[in-house]
Amino acid sequence: MQRISRREFVKRTAVTGAAFTSLPAFLAACGTSTTSNKPSKLTIAAVQGAEDGPLKKIAPIYKSQTGIALDIVEFPYPDLYSKLVTTFQANGSSYDLCMMDDPWMPKFGTMGALQPLDSNFGFTRDPDIPAVVYDVGTWPPPSGPVPPSEQGKTKHLYGITIVGNVEMFMYRKDIASTPPASWDDVLANAKLYGKSNFYGYVIRGLATNPASSDSLPILWSFGGNVFDDNWKVMLDSTASIDAINFLTTSLKKYAEPGAASTDAADRDRLIAIGQAFQSTTWPAEVTGVVEASGSTVIGKMGYIPIPQGPSGKGIGMMGNWLLGIPKGSNNGSAAADFVKWLITPANMRTYVQNGGIPTRTSLLNDATLASTNPYFPALAKSLASPPNWRPRTDQWNAVETAYGTAVNQAVAGLKSPKDALTAAATAVRTLMQQAGYPS
Amino acid sequence: MQNPVRAGRRRRSRQERLAYKILLPALGMVFIIVTIPFVLAVVQSIQADDGTLVGLRNYARALSNPAFYDALRATGLYAVIVLPAEIVLGLGFALLVHRTVRSPGLRATLYILAVVPLVVPPVAVGVVARLIYAPGYGVLNVILERLGIIHQEIEWLSVPALAMFSVASVDIWQWTPFVYLVLFAGLQTVPKESVEAAQVDGATWWTQFIYIELHYLRPLFLLILFFRAADILRVFDHIFILTGGGPGTTTQLLSLYLYRVEFKFFQTGQAAALAVVVLVSISLLYTLVTRLLPLERT
Repeated sequence: MQRISRREFVKRTAVTGAAFTSLPAFLAACGTSTTSNKPSKLTIAAVQGAEDGPLKKIAPIYKSQTGIALDIVEFPYPDLYSKLVTTFQANGSSYDLCMMDDPWMPKFGTMGALQPLDSNFGFTRDPDIPAVVYDVGTWPPPSGPVPPSEQGKTKHLYGITIVGNVEMFMYRKDIASTPPASWDDVLANAKLYGKSNFYGYVIRGLATNPASSDSLPILWSFGGNVFDDNWKVMLDSTASIDAINFLTTSLKKYAEPGAASTDAADRDRLIAIGQAFQSTTWPAEVTGVVEASGSTVIGKMGYIPIPQGPSGKGIGMMGNWLLGIPKGSNNGSAAADFVKWLITPANMRTYVQNGGIPTRTSLLNDATLASTNPYFPALAKSLASPPNWRPRTDQWNAVETAYGTAVNQAVAGLKSPKDALTAAATAVRTLMQQAGYPS
Repeated sequence: MQNPVRAGRRRRSRQERLAYKILLPALGMVFIIVTIPFVLAVVQSIQADDGTLVGLRNYARALSNPAFYDALRATGLYAVIVLPAEIVLGLGFALLVHRTVRSPGLRATLYILAVVPLVVPPVAVGVVARLIYAPGYGVLNVILERLGIIHQEIEWLSVPALAMFSVASVDIWQWTPFVYLVLFAGLQTVPKESVEAAQVDGATWWTQFIYIELHYLRPLFLLILFFRAADILRVFDHIFILTGGGPGTTTQLLSLYLYRVEFKFFQTGQAAALAVVVLVSISLLYTLVTRLLPLERT
């Protein structure tokens, strides 16, 4: 038997080890190349909660029809955004599809993080789905101000809405026979029906995102805005100040105590136990708490689009959840096929029957589905209005934090609405100028 | 014959070399997990998002933002509330148990009870605290109303002073046991002979603590101070759940502010600049305090 030196032994062991350890990677690479058209599974980064629940329920149906499993990786809302941004920065291939809240689209669009669905995969607009649903997934935005860095770029569709979320209004229809048509009616009803331990209005006033989401529909309906069409900051305009003054002074008189620390779950609880008359709401709050088992107000709530303000309009706010295909995905074609499958009328009906919120007008106006989802007609009207989206800038999170903090300060009585909004406007101007906007 | 001095020097040299060899893995780890990230943070702090060098622009922007100073003020106030409260309460419990509880079984039970808050995840603590302080259904208001102490709901999380008290109380509940455990362990090292001699000489409860036990606890106070100060810079979960940093920015501590700058706004350069500023400031403060405080037992 041939003797080998210790050095030679170590060398041969290292070479053999390296060969064996690289074998799985080599085989995997071969597998990828041969099965790239039809992968065995698609990995979806999803938000944990009511929004991805229906997706999990239809996953077995998709597998039985196509043989492709859906691996839904869930993240809590605050984590999903940062997870996706860091994945996109690394051009990672971890996810074939990602769920995206619509305010994230500017960040992902600016980063060039997603694959275009129209030019790459042949997506076209379906007339049964409101145009605004496609617009919110298009980058650069087809209407409103466009970030300076994005001007002149070709528009593409990057996201398909799978949760048609629009902020609406809810009130106790068993107490008030007619729905409020305007914010003046809302105030009058709050005054009329509010009493001890039954609050005339619920303010979702927790700092930053909650306060921002709760107040923006009122701000817009009063003719206020965050930016004009040239990115000029409008938070300290008269209309904006009037809107926040209305919310934090007039309506607050009839609101619950501790409004500055109230979030959606607290609001839903107050409504569900029959301690409050009216508030704004999102579809997931309706299905998750207000009309869910255990609620004392099932069938007693009326749902309408956001009431009109002095501007003559009632403007809801979009909070759509979209599906997009990351640039790093190796299974873009299969991922696109899944999205196409999901939004067909028959499959979207199944999706809705499993708790999903549709975007198809025909399904939103379907009497059978509306009997179990009483807010569907209001959602259809809200989508047709159309609703506003939050300003399409990748600086939105910072803007929202400044604005939502200001509203919270006004709700808490720390500052007057005018002082709070003036300070927020100054902060937002500085921020936007630093980011290259002409504020 | 070999020179004994040189031989001694060679021996020390070998020992030193051995010491360095033994320390090398630990120093290597410190280099990997501390030095490299710090250098990367410094590099990031002088770069724009696209990687171009921008000098000190990120520092200028980060330090000119009033929200940073709001966060600093909030963190300072939080520290001023929780650190003395935890040290006084922890010391009180430690002395009480040390002097009054003799049963080993009872001491073990108290030890286990003290460990419980430390192992509860901060998120869970935040959720439970919200059930206590929340408007409308908070347990505290219900209890106070039933006892007839209040007739109107107290807005624990909406009034700035009360909100800060509420978030600080959660910290005090969770971390006072840590102070208690450390100081109680320190009290076990005090020689019984010294204590008995002092008692024979007529030392009171107070003089016994001041002239004997405090000397053994001094280094532990520093340990507690720095562990807790470091923790306060990381406080996040329960504040995020209870107030989201509000009302306004009253409870937006440095950690929450930094989180927002980095992971919500993705202003990575400014976040890195803030991290460097905070790290350098804390290191300087640490050095200053360790030099100035009389830590050694006398």
